[in-house]
Amino acid sequence: MIDVQYGYEEKGRAVLEDINLELSQGKYIALIGPNGCGKTTLLRHLNGLLIPRQGEVWIHGMNTRDPDTLQEVRRRVGMVFQNPDHQIVGMSVEEDVSFGPGNLCMSPGEIQRRVKRSLGLVGMETQARRAAHCLSSGEKQLVAIAGVLAMDPAYIALDEPTAYLDPAGTKRVLEVIKTLNRNGITIVHATHDMDQIVEADQVLVMGEGRILYNGSPKEVFTRIEWLKELGLDIPKVTELMWRLREMGNDVGPDILTLDEACIALSSRLKAGQGRV
Amino acid sequence: MPCLHGLRRGRAGFRTMVMIGQYVPGDSVVHRLDPRVKILSVIGLSIMILSGTVLTGAVVGFFLVSLIPLSRLSLRPVARALRPIWVFVLILFLLHLLFTKGRPIPPLGPWPVTVTYEGLFRGLGVAWEFILLVMSASILTMTTSPTELVSGIERLLRPLKAIGISSHDVAIMISIALRFVPLLLEEMKRIKEAQTARGAVFESGPLLGRARAATSLMVPVIMGSMRKADDLVTAMEGRAYRRGPRTTLRELRLSGPDYGALAVMILITAVYGLERYSLGAGGFPLLS
Repeated sequence: MIDVQYGYEEKGRAVLEDINLELSQGKYIALIGPNGCGKTTLLRHLNGLLIPRQGEVWIHGMNTRDPDTLQEVRRRVGMVFQNPDHQIVGMSVEEDVSFGPGNLCMSPGEIQRRVKRSLGLVGMETQARRAAHCLSSGEKQLVAIAGVLAMDPAYIALDEPTAYLDPAGTKRVLEVIKTLNRNGITIVHATHDMDQIVEADQVLVMGEGRILYNGSPKEVFTRIEWLKELGLDIPKVTELMWRLREMGNDVGPDILTLDEACIALSSRLKAGQGRV
Repeated sequence: MPCLHGLRRGRAGFRTMVMIGQYVPGDSVVHRLDPRVKILSVIGLSIMILSGTVLTGAVVGFFLVSLIPLSRLSLRPVARALRPIWVFVLILFLLHLLFTKGRPIPPLGPWPVTVTYEGLFRGLGVAWEFILLVMSASILTMTTSPTELVSGIERLLRPLKAIGISSHDVAIMISIALRFVPLLLEEMKRIKEAQTARGAVFESGPLLGRARAATSLMVPVIMGSMRKADDLVTAMEGRAYRRGPRTTLRELRLSGPDYGALAVMILITAVYGLERYSLGAGGFPLLS
């Protein structure tokens, strides 16, 4: 689906190089990598906000280079950005959510139906009439997601959507993203927070404009030293397991979540009478 | 919360700017009127107020005052909207009172200046006109949400397509500008606090120093706005925005009360026309 030999140029050098990806439907794909590695640039290629210098991006058989299908590409691939304040267009919540469908020239009745449904999906249906600037950052981000949902997308690309949020807002937004994924929407989620990628189906690690790794979260966390070299964080649980392993304990390398760790450790604690 | 409370806590200048005619959510007949009807009425009333005379002034005044209970606004926010303009009204009144030639009013005491009957009438008239203008505009903005105002303007400007102005573009521009006001105020406050924390002085000191401090405040605010605008454009394009026609959440449609309001406006216009063109010379010009 994505085949970019040479993407978007900045200060004389390519931000993306030799990227060849197939994003399969319904997956939760996490995109990680240090700052400036091209995550944002890659996401912006997905819905034609940026067009590759060489290479092509195909969405459902539509080339993002083709101006005739660009509207349709943008409808299929929704984009949620980092700063909640910089992406809300409308003055009220419902008005903002109606922006996308309005651009697609839907009838007022259809727009109202979609606004109601999308706000319901993110749990903001009671806030429809509120002024957008009165919302918390987390709520703004939910509104941004609803705005994308109102266009009925098959993919949603999120560019560090929780970077500006407090823990409560982050939790709410992540819950919503997971629910949407369960409902069949493909998620491409760029993030710095390694704890957020544990539940992904597929992890892409980027560095200097290239995809360095493409696999499952379980596999990626077997390469802990390599990740540290890249300057990436390791989820706390994984780090704990890794250290325990380094100390000669026999704990599996495939433990990523707190639940898995609890089960593994408690069984060992019981077996070893209080010693791991 | 960076909501209204944040704005109210700001400096008096911001506060009054935001408070004049701020939208008061409600469900009255006036609130539910089509924004186009309200905008056109305010424009019509303003023309009549400025060019009309005693009778028109009285009729429009009666009409506007009766709108206050009809829109279920309490008197306080209306009075508050008028508060910042009292000084202007007073100055206007005094200027006309003191500088109009005519028959002098016999002084009631040891007044150092002579005032004339004409000056008194003209001063009162001008002050009355000014109050009516502010009142009509305030009632419009207090009973019409910014969203409705923008969609009303959008519809009213549609004929401008003939001369190449897209009312959709104008509407998007206005609504984004309105949407950014609270954001910019918030950012200004933050930058100001950051600079105050590093020793900048905004509220006191010599005028030149304050002007300099204000410049150092404006530069980051403007830079920040540029970045915001850039991000916003990307976000808008990401949501399939392009220039040209787009639809909105609600399509405006005239209903019963709107026709009623139009009828009242026609009635007032008739009174105005009668006074201006039939009574002609008999009318007493308030402002000429």
